[in-house]
Amino acid sequence: MLPASSNECLRRARPLLGTFVEIAVSGAPDADIQAAVTAAFDAIAQVHALMSFQEAGSDVGRLNREAGARPVRVHAWTCRVLEAALDLHRRSSGAFDVAVAGRGATSAAIELLPDDHVRFADPGVKIDLSGIAKGFAVDCAIDVLRAHDMPRALVNAGGDLAAFGPQAETIHVRDPRNPSRLLLLISVMNEALASSGHGFDSFRSAAPAPTAVIDPATGRPVEAVRAATVRAPSCMIADALTKVVMIAGTGASAVLEHYRAGALVVLADGSVQMTENLQGAVCLAA
Amino acid sequence: MTRWINLTAPAAVVATVSSAAQAVQYLSIPEAQKQAFPSASFSEIQAGRIWRAESAGRLLGFFIFDRVIGKHLYIDYAVALDPGGRIRSVEILQYRESYGGEIRSPSWLAQFVGKSSSSALQVGSDIRNISGATLSSQHVTEGVKRIMAIAPRLK
Repeated sequence: MLPASSNECLRRARPLLGTFVEIAVSGAPDADIQAAVTAAFDAIAQVHALMSFQEAGSDVGRLNREAGARPVRVHAWTCRVLEAALDLHRRSSGAFDVAVAGRGATSAAIELLPDDHVRFADPGVKIDLSGIAKGFAVDCAIDVLRAHDMPRALVNAGGDLAAFGPQAETIHVRDPRNPSRLLLLISVMNEALASSGHGFDSFRSAAPAPTAVIDPATGRPVEAVRAATVRAPSCMIADALTKVVMIAGTGASAVLEHYRAGALVVLADGSVQMTENLQGAVCLAA
Repeated sequence: MTRWINLTAPAAVVATVSSAAQAVQYLSIPEAQKQAFPSASFSEIQAGRIWRAESAGRLLGFFIFDRVIGKHLYIDYAVALDPGGRIRSVEILQYRESYGGEIRSPSWLAQFVGKSSSSALQVGSDIRNISGATLSSQHVTEGVKRIMAIAPRLK
């Protein structure tokens, strides 16, 4: 590490994106870390303001009201997320779909036009970016921390996280069947990790809480996969791929490979499977 | 093509319940005050709870400390308001959770099998980074709303 005089470590947390976002930075003078962390939180707050489904003034709110009738200009970040969402939609054979809020409509109706304009070909389409925007917000915070020359950092938005620095970070993944226990440890180095599944929200309930992931093919909640954890180069991709893996299970191999990602799934029968590229990074509780 | 590896199902894990408390201290009240209003001096309006932030006799805003129940333990947080009562920032000061204690128990640590080839995994370390957790922030949001309701009365 760096000399003791600049070996400050700081952890801060703010309520953003509907969860607690924690940023930990070390290896720089305290004042520099404070400024970088505040700027990183500001970036996350901006993503929240742009992509919130609930806030009428967000890009998502404006798109859902107007893009069925006319092209709507959005922030460049919103465009980037939509572009990635459409790519994921195609590569996952429709398993990832930000257009789940519309009646029978899919992401195929979303048209990205020049100059950050977006139009919906089907006026019935509504989009919800909550399955990808949290990961994007983590990536934005990481970009800000890198731009401030922070040597080592970790950003964790309620379990969707990314880290950079000279050494790997050890991440503790909760057991979806009993969130008071840890399922495994996984090391993350200059990459991202995201998790999704039953049980993570139900701290006391014995029965698994209904998952938020809906299979577009059936319109029903996913059942066969109880939980998925994905490691990928960016948190936006890791976040989105957890939804693909929740739906496609071990059938998600090709899409995982395309995005240079690895996954670990807990299936409904209690068995645990992981892609071979996670071997060496995972330590499982027996 | 990516291959999948079947891992042994850790079925026994489900039976055990841990109740040890785990706390994360992010910032003390003075640290959070300095963070919110870097050059200010603070005077208490309500003991241990509400402060006026001033610089050279000029009002910069207010700093309010509050505590809400999280899952079932307290979350300490602070809200910084500008002189007009608008939110400048909301910062978590301390977070407590009633799980995770097992990580310090040698018998739990002994359960880890399939030793990784990566030396980066530090099994004995504290819980620092948890994935797979959607920690409820709803109560903080509600607490901030209550604070905003009293904000117009602050002078």
